[in-house]
Amino acid sequence: MTGLTPEDRQMLHDSLTSYFQDNYTLQQRQTHLETDNQSGYSRKDWANYAELGWLSLTTPESLGGLGGGMTETGILCAAAGRHLILEPIVSTLVLAVGALAELGNPSQKALLEQIAAGDRVATLSHFETRGGFDRGFVETVAVKAGQGYKLTGEKSFVIGVHAADHLIVSARLGDEEGPVALFLLDGDAAGVTRKGAIALDERPGAALIFDGAPAALLGGVETDRMPQLNYLLDKAILATCAEAVGAMAAVSELTTQYLKTRQQFGKNLSDFQVLQHRLVDMHLHSDECRMMVGFALNAADTKQENWSRLCAQTKVKVARSARFVGGQGIQLHGGMGMTEELEIGHYYKRLSVCEAAFGDAAWHLAGLANTKGSDHA
Amino acid sequence: MFINAPTPSAEMPEFRAEIRDFCRQEMTPVFRRKLELGQHITKDEHDAWLKALGRRGWLAGNWPKEHGGLGWSPEQTSVFREEMQRVNAPWLIPFGVLMVGPVIYTFGSDAQKKKFLPDIISNSLWWCQGYSEPGAGSDLAGLKTRAERDGDHYIVNGQKTWTTLAHWADWIFCLVRTDPDARKQAGISFLLIDMKTPGISVRPIRTIDKHHHLNEVFFDNVRVPLENLVGEENKGWNYAKFLLANERAAFGEIARFTLALAQLRELLGQVFQSGKPLLQDDSYRKRLAEHEIELTGLRAIVDDVNATVRAGGNPPLIGAAALKIRASELQQAISQTAADAMSHAGLTFDPGALMPGWTAEPDAPELANGLMYEHLYGRAATIFGGASEIQRNIIAKGALGL
Repeated sequence: MTGLTPEDRQMLHDSLTSYFQDNYTLQQRQTHLETDNQSGYSRKDWANYAELGWLSLTTPESLGGLGGGMTETGILCAAAGRHLILEPIVSTLVLAVGALAELGNPSQKALLEQIAAGDRVATLSHFETRGGFDRGFVETVAVKAGQGYKLTGEKSFVIGVHAADHLIVSARLGDEEGPVALFLLDGDAAGVTRKGAIALDERPGAALIFDGAPAALLGGVETDRMPQLNYLLDKAILATCAEAVGAMAAVSELTTQYLKTRQQFGKNLSDFQVLQHRLVDMHLHSDECRMMVGFALNAADTKQENWSRLCAQTKVKVARSARFVGGQGIQLHGGMGMTEELEIGHYYKRLSVCEAAFGDAAWHLAGLANTKGSDHA
Repeated sequence: MFINAPTPSAEMPEFRAEIRDFCRQEMTPVFRRKLELGQHITKDEHDAWLKALGRRGWLAGNWPKEHGGLGWSPEQTSVFREEMQRVNAPWLIPFGVLMVGPVIYTFGSDAQKKKFLPDIISNSLWWCQGYSEPGAGSDLAGLKTRAERDGDHYIVNGQKTWTTLAHWADWIFCLVRTDPDARKQAGISFLLIDMKTPGISVRPIRTIDKHHHLNEVFFDNVRVPLENLVGEENKGWNYAKFLLANERAAFGEIARFTLALAQLRELLGQVFQSGKPLLQDDSYRKRLAEHEIELTGLRAIVDDVNATVRAGGNPPLIGAAALKIRASELQQAISQTAADAMSHAGLTFDPGALMPGWTAEPDAPELANGLMYEHLYGRAATIFGGASEIQRNIIAKGALGL
């Protein structure tokens, strides 16, 4: 992927910002959550994203997409975090599109066009309930059945999965010792149970249970796809980090603004040095993460060595900062921070979800501690 | 240093047995299960429980006998609270029995004692606390709600906010400004107001856990009889301070933390990482140990505060501030560990599963929703009752003379 020019990136950023400012206020967001019970997000907005070209941003040019790189994905995700967007961007545009583009056979790749048009939504589920954050822990098994495969096992909760038209999931080929491959299923296929649940930040999703569910092997060749999966999950980590950066910047700005106007003890709260330093720390965390994520996104686009290790490092840093910035956003807003009608609490919950997604700080720290520079996977 | 050795917590086996018998009788299995899962209970359920305690005299067991209490020692009070928390009993709503009751029997008129104390002891009236205002949070003394004399009444105008359970309350005790020209703290009075008085309206505030605990309360030319003034006019700040120390000291509910740790341990047994429950994970075991250390530290603060209470009466403001800081931090640390554990399973939270009327059995881990609720609503612990920043100011001024 070549990525876009700085001018095109600026245009992308501006179009995201202006669209979300006009169409994704907190009130509009709550309406999507409460009225569109089927998906819990706005299919209308999703169709508009297609019009605006965002849904083909991550698809390679050779497959009819815009060919955006990770930096462009980061711009999209940061805006999604800043505006608390509900749609399953990481799961669909990073993971599912990435898997189809990377591994799909021609007929499977044809799905990319339908995704780009907003007609179809696909999501990817890899982690399993008993495995936690462990990428290598796959107990779901795919056995050959006629032309295709039958899947048995389960996958953890993922946001957006409840409303996806197509599911991409990982499973071991043949038996529990087999290599890990990726499979494509219809969302409403027989033998698939979607166990609906709600993420801490109110976005609905589902865990999956397979009981002999019919599935097609992605790419059609029986081989170990863990390297490709690792690459996709690393990209998803960075996309999530970019989302957190957008949310943290908003929290830092909103909190600074609030303390400049909130009066107690006859002066603005921002006049108290102890609170000034807290605001400075929030800003430092947020801005440091912006730079580190930008660094990692660029490293991905320029295919630098040790990129996977850099992703894990970035996730540790961003997860810790997200906890600090999100928590202090509420603390410094006082009771107002606890209310549903203010953004700040919604950012707190979104940041918690970003922290957790694809492995939290403790998990990646342990991974980094137990691997050496170049062989981290 | 170390002069007044803290007394070890009391055993009182007979008293404990009596309380446990009571709990067995009064809690149906369905009710017990609801409480265990951290589900919200209805006002009727809550009321029935508090009234049952009231009938035994236990609700106000720590009040002096002359005011209708049982004259419990601090140790007996601790044993009672421990036993309540051990079985996850409904929240002992403090506004009547811990807050306005002691203010009334300490500073109120004989008529007020006669009128209000029996109903507080029996939980026949529900109270709420009218302190914070939109412009007066940390700076409580900046409150603006006005009470002006008009014959034998005050006319009250203004707004209170963050009023917990105002939507269930029969009465509200309020700090109001009676002298707008006096220094901030000097012009405040302590008024008791019937929530049914014309001119009062209550608006719900929904919080990040999606539930309705808090309210705004508006006063529009509300007529309050002069006899509902507690103590002297413009001396309300003294009574408020007396009560704030009580409120902060109430954070030292050790048994509540013991129970929270037990629940966390249970959760860690039900969430998996790499095929093993988190309870077998060294990093989570260390975090449990960390929480236990902090809990022991908290117990030591409580014992120290109690030793002072025994020697001199009211909880000391500085000890209460330290207790509030550490207790709220520990509460958040424990629920953060629960949230971190849930991250391994997708970090879900279904607020609907906690609502009255929800009867299905939860999925494993079954305590998750209750703990996630604690995690979200618990963010308020370092804010209400004087934010952590304010508690540190109290210690800076009171203990360090800064």
